[in-house]
Amino acid sequence: MSEDLHSRVALKLEAVGPSVSIGLEIKIESYFDIVRGLIEDFASKNGMNCIYVTSSVPSATLNSALQALEVDTEGLRFIDCVSHTMMGAIHRVDNTVYVENPSMLENIMLKVEYFLRLAGDKKTIVVFDSANSFAIHNDPKILSEFFTIILNSLKAREAYPVVLMIPDQLKVEVKEMLGMVCDVIMPIEQDHQP
Amino acid sequence: MAKASERERCITGIEGLDNILGGGIPTHNIVLVAGAAGTGKTSLAFEFVVRGAVSGENGVLITTVESKSKLLANIPSLVFYDEKTVGKRITIMTLKDLLEEAGISDGVAGESVMDMLISMVEKMVVTAKAKRLVIDSIDTILPDQKEERLDTYFLTKLSQMLHEKGSTAILVCKAETAEGGIGSVVDGIIQMGNLERKGDLLRTMQVPKMKGATHSRAKYVIDLTSAGVLVTTLLKGGI
Ligand SMILES: Nc1ncnc2c1ncn2[C@@H]1O[C@H](COP(=O)(O)OP(=O)(O)OP(=O)(O)O)[C@@H](O)[C@H]1O
Ligand SMILES: [Mg+2]
Repeated sequence: MSEDLHSRVALKLEAVGPSVSIGLEIKIESYFDIVRGLIEDFASKNGMNCIYVTSSVPSATLNSALQALEVDTEGLRFIDCVSHTMMGAIHRVDNTVYVENPSMLENIMLKVEYFLRLAGDKKTIVVFDSANSFAIHNDPKILSEFFTIILNSLKAREAYPVVLMIPDQLKVEVKEMLGMVCDVIMPIEQDHQP
Repeated sequence: MAKASERERCITGIEGLDNILGGGIPTHNIVLVAGAAGTGKTSLAFEFVVRGAVSGENGVLITTVESKSKLLANIPSLVFYDEKTVGKRITIMTLKDLLEEAGISDGVAGESVMDMLISMVEKMVVTAKAKRLVIDSIDTILPDQKEERLDTYFLTKLSQMLHEKGSTAILVCKAETAEGGIGSVVDGIIQMGNLERKGDLLRTMQVPKMKGATHSRAKYVIDLTSAGVLVTTLLKGGI
């Protein structure tokens, strides 16, 4: 059933609506399907912007994967927190800003603010990819402070905040923290399991 | 009748700063924007004038940069800056031209020179009908920090002039300048700085002093962007 997983992600988000912070439980095997669902089926098809904060996969990798699928990336903006920490030169891309590393949480908040300002009134989904990689670079206390502030601020602006999480690889305390800061924890694959 | 405790504000238009100040800079205040090299003083001061112009308030910008074109080239373009409309409300003069026109050669000091300088600035403010004045920076105007008496004289005169014209001023200076005697003479101080945390360097902004306003004294993290100076809370868990 993986074929229509991406459209199912969009349907689930549409059912929830704006101003609700969602912890999206995903499986690593369905990662690209989920990303596609968020960016194409949900954001692009609804004429929304997508601010994609990545601390796991470099934006260039995601960009080329999306291009290969011929996904419309017009309204897509990346906040890339991984490419700086990897060796080698960064190819600067128009729709991407870079944060030096995933522990510069304030700078991530500022870049989100930046893209929201440039977008004006346009509806926006903001994806954090992922809680797992953020938890590697930050202790749970500051991460909880970060998510509390940014998720509340996004809710106040009627955005769609989504935190990706791979639950079986998350420490218990991080999982509990996400349960506190997110309004809903939404498993994606469970529905189609017997 | 106006309440003494609630002074009229000059809404800077820099949202994060206005929030810190509880609405803006109290009108007529002289505010130092102080900080080490590259901390964003010019960006903040320039945006102050541009935001004013966008909301219909004229501004005067006196700068140590040699020319207007060089100034604009140095500052990454702000999305809300439009030379044809906003630019018209902003009068830019280089400090060098100002001193020349005032007949002041370098190294000269004294009350009469300060009087001359103030009257030149006043003329510009009046001609431009300016509600906002920026001098970036005053370190060259007040070169000798030992001459504190003269600094005070200059600031007192400037303050009188701002009161008469209903204008608000931002004066840019080095961090040390604000720590010296003039820090206690001005109405407000906005400190720009850097904060190192586990090897990361964050840009910061803090308001230790602002007369006539109930304001936050916390340290904030900022970013300099084409959408202006953006401000966010410093996360406490990290220090
Ligand atoms: N909108 C922007 N986007 C990206 N970088 C910026 C932006 N505005 C300023 N900067 C960078 O930030 C740095 C400091 O800016 P700014 O000139 O405002 O600091 P300053 O405190 O006035 O420095 P100085 O002490 O040299 O006068 C500059 O190197 C500049 O390139
Ligand atoms: Mg400067």
